[in-house]
Amino acid sequence: MTLLDVENVHTYYGESHILEGVSLSVAASEVIALIGRNGVGKTTTLRTILQLTPPREGSVTFRGEDLQGLATNEVARRGIGWIPEERRIYSQLSVAENVRIAVPSDRDADAALKNAYETFPDLERFGDRDAGTLSGGQQQMLALARGLAGENDLLLVDEPSEGLAPRIVAAVADALAAAAEETTLLLVEQNLPLALDLADRFYLLDNGQVIDSGDTDEVRAEDERLRRHLSA
Amino acid sequence: MTFLLTVTIATEVVSLVSELSPLLASGFGLRSPAALAFFPDVTLVALGDALASFLQPVNLFDVFLNGLAKSALYVMIAVGLTLIFGLMGVLNFAHGSFTMIGAYLGGLILVLTVTGTTGGLARIGLFFVGVLVVFGVLAVLGGVLEISLIRPLYDRSPVYQILLTFGLTLVLDELVRIIVSLYGLQPISDWQNAFGTRPAFIARSLDFGPVDVPGLALFQIAFGVVTVGAVWAFLTRTRYGLIVRAGSEDAEMTEALGIDVRRVFTVVFALGAGIAGVAGVLLMWDPVWGASVPLAAETLLPAFVVVIVGGLGTFRGTVVAGILVGMVDAVMTWWFQNAISFTGLPQITIFLILVIVLIARPQGLFGVEGVGGH
Amino acid sequence: MAISPGSGPETTTNDDRPETDSETDDGAETDGRTGAGDETEAEGGAGAEPSADTRAESEGGLESETAPAAETGTRSARADGTLVWPARYVREHLVHSGVLLFLALYPGIYTLLVNSPLRSELLAVLPEIETMVAVFYFGLFAMSFDFISGYTGYLDFGHAVFYGIGAYVVLLVATGKVPLLPAETPFVLVLVLAGLLAVVFAVLIGAVSFRLTGVYFAMITLGFGQVVYVFVRGWDYVGSNPRDGIAVSERSGFEIGVPFVDSLDLAIGQLTGDELSVLAIELSTTEVSYYMVGLVVVICYFAMQRIIHSPFGRVMIAIRENEQRAAAIGYNTFRYKLGAFAISGFFAAIAGGLFAGFRRTATPDNAFFFLVTGDALLAAIIGGFGTLAGPLYGRLFDEGVREFLSKAGEGGGLLPYLREHLSEAVLGTELLGGMTVQGAIETFLNGHASLYIGALFVLFVLFVPDGLLGTIRARLGGPVGKCLPDRAGEYVPERFERYWKGLER
Repeated sequence: MTLLDVENVHTYYGESHILEGVSLSVAASEVIALIGRNGVGKTTTLRTILQLTPPREGSVTFRGEDLQGLATNEVARRGIGWIPEERRIYSQLSVAENVRIAVPSDRDADAALKNAYETFPDLERFGDRDAGTLSGGQQQMLALARGLAGENDLLLVDEPSEGLAPRIVAAVADALAAAAEETTLLLVEQNLPLALDLADRFYLLDNGQVIDSGDTDEVRAEDERLRRHLSA
Repeated sequence: MTFLLTVTIATEVVSLVSELSPLLASGFGLRSPAALAFFPDVTLVALGDALASFLQPVNLFDVFLNGLAKSALYVMIAVGLTLIFGLMGVLNFAHGSFTMIGAYLGGLILVLTVTGTTGGLARIGLFFVGVLVVFGVLAVLGGVLEISLIRPLYDRSPVYQILLTFGLTLVLDELVRIIVSLYGLQPISDWQNAFGTRPAFIARSLDFGPVDVPGLALFQIAFGVVTVGAVWAFLTRTRYGLIVRAGSEDAEMTEALGIDVRRVFTVVFALGAGIAGVAGVLLMWDPVWGASVPLAAETLLPAFVVVIVGGLGTFRGTVVAGILVGMVDAVMTWWFQNAISFTGLPQITIFLILVIVLIARPQGLFGVEGVGGH
Repeated sequence: MAISPGSGPETTTNDDRPETDSETDDGAETDGRTGAGDETEAEGGAGAEPSADTRAESEGGLESETAPAAETGTRSARADGTLVWPARYVREHLVHSGVLLFLALYPGIYTLLVNSPLRSELLAVLPEIETMVAVFYFGLFAMSFDFISGYTGYLDFGHAVFYGIGAYVVLLVATGKVPLLPAETPFVLVLVLAGLLAVVFAVLIGAVSFRLTGVYFAMITLGFGQVVYVFVRGWDYVGSNPRDGIAVSERSGFEIGVPFVDSLDLAIGQLTGDELSVLAIELSTTEVSYYMVGLVVVICYFAMQRIIHSPFGRVMIAIRENEQRAAAIGYNTFRYKLGAFAISGFFAAIAGGLFAGFRRTATPDNAFFFLVTGDALLAAIIGGFGTLAGPLYGRLFDEGVREFLSKAGEGGGLLPYLREHLSEAVLGTELLGGMTVQGAIETFLNGHASLYIGALFVLFVLFVPDGLLGTIRARLGGPVGKCLPDRAGEYVPERFERYWKGLER
């Protein structure tokens, strides 16, 4: 069953045309990788889905409902979570508060926090510290924990491994794999082996358009089919 | 550094002028060389005596207590501004007008209800009724203004929000001026009848052994402590406070977590306006301030100083800066009253604090660079 | 970025400004745009960053600077290429000339109209000559404010310092309180000296303040302004009650003209100014003041306009649009900002000096207080921020409304008109709570102009954010002086052209 349907969206920043007719669909409990060079519109695709940067043309449909005209908070409340690029955790809030804020009601927050600490035991020690004092890897863990705490049906994950040490990348990959068991993931990832490993299907973006897609089983990271569009 | 230089140059110029003056006085019709000095009648000896007097424990305690009372007032008038700026990035020029309206409204409630025979405790009780009513009325006013006027501007450059609130100030101040004049009051002078509603123990000094403690100062300190405590509890102990803090740091992220940040904007603007109004009620009883139309500008500027010195948009910074400014004000007021006859001394020092902090630490004492919209 | 007004790390200076479009038309925008576009592309595929397009959009000003050959403005140069110079000159300054002509004739028009059958209506609506003098000098102050804040994007909330310096220098000299300068020092000379003193202050204040941007710059200048204001308010050197400011009683009228040459000087001021009769036209003191103050203001306007249209001015605009980029191209933006600040301070002081020369008095509250800067801001926004001439029209609008809706007594405004023309019955009609119509108009139309100005200002911010001139420019697609002749020129100048060509032969 199709969970998310992006159809022929055109998105602009001011006058710059960023997405030139992107279409993709995500089925429930799938993991989709969105790959492509820097600046081809991957992040913009996620922002378009969330209506942070609404498309001028085309439609985004979530569980059969057209999202056009909805505010971002309304989109989020329909079950779409976002783990943005560069994490964007609240550096002046405590670790625990960073998780709590993602839970709609205070009553469920304790359970969500307990859950998060089970998944990311490292975080528990720092529960009362300002999140800004954490290391980059820990901040990424926190961002994942915050994203998962919302119990969303679809999670948009943007560059989770960017700028992290290899050991931590592995931990992030484990966490994502665990998350994939419970929810649907749309993953933007530069680390191609990681992306292909996690994902069931992929979409390849170039210059604001989808130029290739398919099952991740069909391709390997070294394939000319992908490399052509990925190497700078 | 440059400012020090300016001061040095200014001093040089003055001394030069003083030296020249006897020569030039005849030609230019000067009254006397003494008229040329900035601070007439001040000599080093006099300053030394004043310092010795200042350092006496009784005087120090007096200044400290006054400082605390002033701190309480400065924090009160700046807290709402800080909340609004922290979350929305709007530097609200109408903030002083909210305070001024609160002062008149609070005064009105007390003048209407207090009679000559009303007891002290009953007056305090009515004061708090006034506080509640004023908070409610100004919160509604703030909310309505945010929804109708400021909301359409969020998509534009922040400059326009500054401009809009500036325009609002003109309208609000002039409306109050018209209404107040209609009731036969002088808009530019303090509302004396409002002072008359103070209970006796607030209008008087309380005698504690060697020191006299003004009742009003104690009342202001207590009121300020309670307000700071309440706002702090709201911010750290409630879910809504958590949302406000999160929204202040990253509004877009917060929106993506399913929170309607625009509605939070309205609530916080209302809250900020309400607190500003409450600060006005407190000032209405203080003879240094009092309910008058110019109170709007008189409170707006110090509120800016406190908010900037603390670090735009940080609550903790605002409290610390409020105390700093209050203490400096009290010290300088003492020096003005006892040694230096320059009337603007406390005020000029407050603005110098602003300038110096901005030079030395532009993000303010507790501000984080890049947070709070700038 | 729909939600947060300023969640990004960018400073206010980098924000898009609505007047961008109209302004970039000043230079060689065709070349500038293309160049800028290419560069952004070349900068790498970072096109997905939200800031990239702001950059691309906000070019214009800089590119023409890097390619000085294109300085004169390609479009109009091309369009004018066939014209011989006098026709071109007239054409380029058609709007300027028209406005100047109108201003020059205004006192006459005013006198004619208020003696016409529609006397009382026109008296109520038209600004008096005296008001126009105030429009001139305060308009100059508002233009100088626009020069720094509208063109570089740095809001100077302490601009009144310079206005106050101008006013106080003139008055202190005139009361004999400045060593070495006797009270009768020629006014024009004192104006220049006041301007230079303001330049010194601007450099000192600016050297510190321009390390900051956005709200912080606004606040530090506000801080400096208030330090000076509080100081002046307590400065008993100026008189026994410094809050009351300074007033000149002894000195004769302040003359504008060539210093030391009596026949080429005319004194200003309502009581102390000169009267003049030229060709059977009698000019009152107020009218002479109107022309002389107006003359200085017009000269200052053209000086500022030249600077804005010079390479220096284009760097100022580039700083407003994207300061980092201007710095990256190699401009020492700090020096340019400081220079612009000094120039704007100079003209603000001239404005303050004219104010003091005409009124012969000034107080800390009407010369140094931050609300004086606020008034300039009002005029600049209503007239059009970043349009230079706009603030003058903004002030005219402002004063016009003020006079119409609040001035009591001597002639102008709505109140005397209504008093005269409403019948007793209407005036006596009771409105709410025992207030009569007469009571209501006396209350609301007397001395409460700020209410209406404030409300109008709010409406401008909401619905006409580009201001009067800015909106017209946006409609025409460029500065009025350039576009209007271009449009009208499709018909008219052909004749001009033939005429001039005929003359040439």
